[in-house]
Amino acid sequence: MQEDTNQLSVIHSKGSLDWAYPTFILASTAAAMEKDVELFFTFYGLKAVLKDTTHLKVSPLGNPGMVVNSPVGPAWLKKIDWNVVLPGLVWTLPGMSKLATWGFKKTLAMQGQVSVEELRSLCLELGVKMTVCQMTMEMMGYKEADFIEGVQFAGAATYFANTPKNQSLYI
Amino acid sequence: MELNFVGLVCPMPIIKLKKYLVENKDQIINVELLISDKSGLKDIPAFCEQSGLSCKLMANENVIRFKIQN
Repeated sequence: MQEDTNQLSVIHSKGSLDWAYPTFILASTAAAMEKDVELFFTFYGLKAVLKDTTHLKVSPLGNPGMVVNSPVGPAWLKKIDWNVVLPGLVWTLPGMSKLATWGFKKTLAMQGQVSVEELRSLCLELGVKMTVCQMTMEMMGYKEADFIEGVQFAGAATYFANTPKNQSLYI
Repeated sequence: MELNFVGLVCPMPIIKLKKYLVENKDQIINVELLISDKSGLKDIPAFCEQSGLSCKLMANENVIRFKIQN
């Protein structure tokens, strides 16, 4: 067991694109600051470490905190938060998730943010350890080959054995 | 040495600064760091302090400029 308190550990359980960012941003920064970082991916969180990221999306549906601005157009248009203006029902229409994901990616890119693919490979380069929950992987019908190089496959006991008692975040 | 990370947002300025420090390990560090990400105003000094580097704010306009030395 590791008793080092200079660690960060995050249990990542969310399967959407927006939630992948906080985990990888915190993990890469902590690793750059010489912390030992352990990420444990479980349930829908597995999507954040799949090779194929096309299913990593964002949706305003049931997500009232999300700010939906148009990344293109005149200033007055960009100011409108469509998640406030439009009724929630609108986000159930076909193509809305695709549109929201496109807008989200475009806004991040314009802000100077890197892609989630780049961010996660930076994490691995910086020595962040990533563990995929094997039970979830089998339950969801994924294979080890579906995941990016550098992740390990294990269960909850391995995660707890590798992480400290007092530093666990749940995202 | 000038490091220009203007246009990059959190966490990239820290990651790129760290990369430079790793590549220049055991060397004399004398860097002019240029950023535009406002969170760097606090983050860069915090990172430097933790890394044992001195960090002086030289300019805080559209471009934020730090002098970083070991």
